[in-house]
Amino acid sequence: MNARVLIMLAALLVFSIGLVMAQEEMTKEQWQQEIQKYTTQRDGLSSQLKQLESDINAIKAQSTKAAEDYTKCQDELYALVGADAAKAAEYRAQIEAAENKANELMRLSDADLVARTSEVEGLEATVKNLWGNKLSLIPEFWDRLTALNEKVKSLRGTLDAQVKTYTVGTWSRDRDCLWNISKKPTIYDNAWLWPKIWQGNRDQIKNPDVIHTGQKLVIPKGNELTSDEKSAARKYYARKAAAVAPKVEPAAK
Amino acid sequence: MNTIKGKVTRFGVALLFTSSLALVGCTSHPDEAELKQLDDLKAEVASLQKEISDKEQQKSAVDKELADINAKLKKCADDQAVVKQRLANK
Repeated sequence: MNARVLIMLAALLVFSIGLVMAQEEMTKEQWQQEIQKYTTQRDGLSSQLKQLESDINAIKAQSTKAAEDYTKCQDELYALVGADAAKAAEYRAQIEAAENKANELMRLSDADLVARTSEVEGLEATVKNLWGNKLSLIPEFWDRLTALNEKVKSLRGTLDAQVKTYTVGTWSRDRDCLWNISKKPTIYDNAWLWPKIWQGNRDQIKNPDVIHTGQKLVIPKGNELTSDEKSAARKYYARKAAAVAPKVEPAAK
Repeated sequence: MNTIKGKVTRFGVALLFTSSLALVGCTSHPDEAELKQLDDLKAEVASLQKEISDKEQQKSAVDKELADINAKLKKCADDQAVVKQRLANK
């Protein structure tokens, strides 16, 4: 290849490299434009940041003032019913306990609920007492007590639907004992269900062999014994067997 | 003829070299300190953008907090009115 051509090519190469370098590297003018652009942007952002900080501080101050106003308002609210925050907290805890009890009772089966009738009655009394407190006039408590009332009514309704009663007559006239009562067609029509009556009336029957004329017995609903009732019956028969006494049917005295 | 061709070639080569040098050497470029100044400025802008983003989130949070307290305050005032009414009806 001709030496001259080689020299020309080399010169072209140097020229091209120079051209590329000149294009890639930032010129002073471009630098100044960039500095100007970013300085403007920085100043704008700084100003925006200051404004944001100022806004946040103003909102925080408003929140603090509103929180103070709220505390004052709550104190005034409790004062209207002659209470204070501590009494309201105590009352709130009482309502919560009653709500928990109601929820626990509402989860029970009908038969188990009947067995815990006294707890339903206790809950009714508690709710009545809670209504008697002037704090109940505050909507927070009023609304919760109203909901609680509905639950207690529902429990009472379930109990009433489950429970019928029987007043014990005399042995000489009615031959009333738990066995015979249970055997009556209007009760269970099944003498073997007598432990159901016993367990449904544990508060007034300590010994199933002893019931008294005039006693008003709750007759729990159902046509078979629950596990608790079966267990109580087994224990009863075991005691009787241990006593080695002649078999005596539970009888009214 | 060859002499003329050689002269033209030498002239062309010289012209190309000169142009390259002029292109690279005569253009004004920022020095290192100036480039650092630009980089620092860019970093400052990026930092401010991040800070603003954080502050905007903080502002949203305190705005919500204020709205919640104001709602509670309004409910409390309403409750007072209700209690007064119930007391009057008793």
